[in-house]
Amino acid sequence: MHIQVKCSCGEGNCPEWAIVELQGVVEAQPSFENRLQSLQIGVLCRPSSQESYTFTIGYHELIGTKVSLKKPILVLKKIKLRNEDEEEDGGDVDATRVELDMIGIIRHKILFKTRPKALISSKGAQPSAKEKASASSSKTPH
Amino acid sequence: MDTILPQIGCSGGAEAVLGIQPNSSISIAYHSLFGPHNDLMLLELDEKLLPEVLHQRVTLRGQPDEDAVLCTPSKTYAVKFVGTSNSVLLIPPSDKASQGCNKENDDKMMVASVIKVVPGCMELVEVAPKVDKLKLLLSQYPYTFGEAVSEEGEKTKMGLYRWDDLVDRLQASDEELRFGLKSLSAVEIDGYWRILDDKYMNMILDMLLHDIILNDWSINALNEDEIVGVLEADGFPRNIAKHCLQVYCDKVDEGVGVSSMWKLDERRVCVHLARDILNGGKMKIEVFIEKWRRKVPDGMSANFEMLEGEVLMEKLGMESWVYLFSVSSLPSTPAERFSILFKERPKWEWKDLQPYVRNLRVPGLSSEGLLLKYTRRTQPTAESEPVFSAR
Ligand SMILES: [Zn+2]
Repeated sequence: MHIQVKCSCGEGNCPEWAIVELQGVVEAQPSFENRLQSLQIGVLCRPSSQESYTFTIGYHELIGTKVSLKKPILVLKKIKLRNEDEEEDGGDVDATRVELDMIGIIRHKILFKTRPKALISSKGAQPSAKEKASASSSKTPH
Repeated sequence: MDTILPQIGCSGGAEAVLGIQPNSSISIAYHSLFGPHNDLMLLELDEKLLPEVLHQRVTLRGQPDEDAVLCTPSKTYAVKFVGTSNSVLLIPPSDKASQGCNKENDDKMMVASVIKVVPGCMELVEVAPKVDKLKLLLSQYPYTFGEAVSEEGEKTKMGLYRWDDLVDRLQASDEELRFGLKSLSAVEIDGYWRILDDKYMNMILDMLLHDIILNDWSINALNEDEIVGVLEADGFPRNIAKHCLQVYCDKVDEGVGVSSMWKLDERRVCVHLARDILNGGKMKIEVFIEKWRRKVPDGMSANFEMLEGEVLMEKLGMESWVYLFSVSSLPSTPAERFSILFKERPKWEWKDLQPYVRNLRVPGLSSEGLLLKYTRRTQPTAESEPVFSAR
């Protein structure tokens, strides 16, 4: 196996991607479990000029910061190419070659290390959030 | 605000997340194409390796039954997947087509879409290349005299390897692979990388030494064209004759328009002759030295120190015996190397041990660190030589 790693964007043109990282698992309500596409997860807010952020998911709020990564992270996409000389060896070897295309680079993430804090405790309000954050407080964020 | 509505507003993507202005908010939503996207993966790597990727000089290598390694032209890195229990939401840049949000005409919130939740990231650890496998592969079918003189055509190509085959099979960078081939004295024959059978190498070196005497050539000024011509007449293929020069000689003068000049390398020739003598088994040192000196060509002097890392001496009663124990036959991973060394001999003095460990390389570990990790050092008195034994 010999997989070329490359970038087709041209020098310096590889776009920056972003990561929003939080503790625990973001869960949608069961009725939405299999059709999450286009659903809103929450609202990301930068309340001041500092690199401090809040992330509101349903009735929970997380507090976090923007972090510059010590080492960049590449976003690689596996691409299957048809092998030109597939007759060679005549065997049943997989005739596709694979390449990894660097389609993005990540240099920053917005990291929420805190456990979610409940925003509203009033029982009167009908909850409309279909996602909830369930935190696992013992895990240290990566 | 009803948060279950489909994603609305202008799509901002990663730029919107990273460039969010003070006192403003954006919506984070699942992408319309949200899914597992197993073809997308993350790889963390050092900033200094980035240009190597951009210039297409990085490959992943390994057989299906091995862990993959990542190779730059000169280095090899193990790839390990580091999982996370956090939710890592991956947000691509906005799709240029769907961008173009008119600020004045709507109060809708900018939306950044999450394409997948990533389970973790691949990380790199520099490792020593696995070149032992190279020796194993090439030792299956060494090139022999019989093959050299046989008729072309019937040759089977099974068990033979082109450069690309080796690249496919070895977890090593190009530079490390080239170095490995050189250290095995491998040669490219008809497109395949081969090592020459020992007997064949002996034959051709004997012939070369014989021709030198016969033609009264100086061992310090060997004319490439003449040598190759004579060896060809002796029945050796031209590329093998040239290979012989590369293995046993040093080029002293690059010929421009004329033939290059070579000089016989004293150490390599003497070591080869010593190995040839000891191939049959151990020998009393006096007998060995006598035989060795007789074989060495005029103008060269055999010196026992040349055999560091090739030959070991042991005392049996009053007598000293020598036997072949070549560093090139030992594995290149430290744990296996030390295990064989201490099986051979439970205690080693530094001067004996050093030739057998000096070519061990472990990224991030000094040679002192290696010794600390794999040996126990004892020094009976302050004046005595330190002795190394197994930990
Ligand atoms: Zn790119």
